[in-house]
Amino acid sequence: MTEPIIPSINLTLCNRCTQCVSGCPEQSLVMTERGPEFIKPITCTYCGDCEGLCPTGAIRAPLWVTWDAHV
Amino acid sequence: MQAEALNQIPIFSSLQADTRTAIARRAFTRNLPTGCTLLVEGLPAEYGYFVLSGELRALRMNQDGRVQILARFWTGDPINLISLLSQEHVNRATIETLTNSTLLVLSASDFNDLIHRHPDFSTLLLRQFAARLTKMTDLAADLSLYAVRARLARFLIELADLTPSHAGWTQDEIAAHIGTVRDVVGRLLRDFESADLIQRQRGQIVLLNRDELTRISKD
Repeated sequence: MTEPIIPSINLTLCNRCTQCVSGCPEQSLVMTERGPEFIKPITCTYCGDCEGLCPTGAIRAPLWVTWDAHV
Repeated sequence: MQAEALNQIPIFSSLQADTRTAIARRAFTRNLPTGCTLLVEGLPAEYGYFVLSGELRALRMNQDGRVQILARFWTGDPINLISLLSQEHVNRATIETLTNSTLLVLSASDFNDLIHRHPDFSTLLLRQFAARLTKMTDLAADLSLYAVRARLARFLIELADLTPSHAGWTQDEIAAHIGTVRDVVGRLLRDFESADLIQRQRGQIVLLNRDELTRISKD
């Protein structure tokens, strides 16, 4: 089974403010010694809230835009 | 660097052979992985770059650490030209890689030397500036002529028509590109989804109705 796509975290930009951890509606993130990590990637819905809360741009939840195959 | 390598770079194709040789003699290439910081805003501008492959973004950070995305760079785009040519000589933005990237690097002194000795190199830079100024003028016109909803619809169509090799866009980047804020982008995407114009999947926005999105883009 392939891992679900989750937001990427640049730990060198992270200032450990924990806003992403407290703001995640699915509690998918925890703060570790290294920085925030997705402990339960399967529960992440890719809502992008963590990205929006991150004050340093360390979290990215990029979107790819495509046409529907029938358009 | 081999002069022949420059022949394969489209933006240098208009240059005379001796200019390409002069660039090749001075330039070197640099490979950077995804997520790497190339330049830091406010530090002295020491190098100019041309993107040979990959994708990068320019951003600025305020005192609270809040980030604003300014621009993206793709193959052929110059980076840090304004910083090198301005009086202050400091990096005007932080630049980081969005994908694995290869850059052609010129030092500030070599850059200035090429400008003074090779008019076709100066012309190339002027064309790049003209293209960037045109883009900014178009953006200013868009901001005054069209509503945010129309600008977002048009940008989504543009992105969907691009080749899929481009790096994805965050909602902040989309907001910065169309001149609004993230919350508005999020709300409009939800509106579009409710109207069955798009479908949001994990990491993907699928456009469902070209005719209606095109109509909205002209409102």
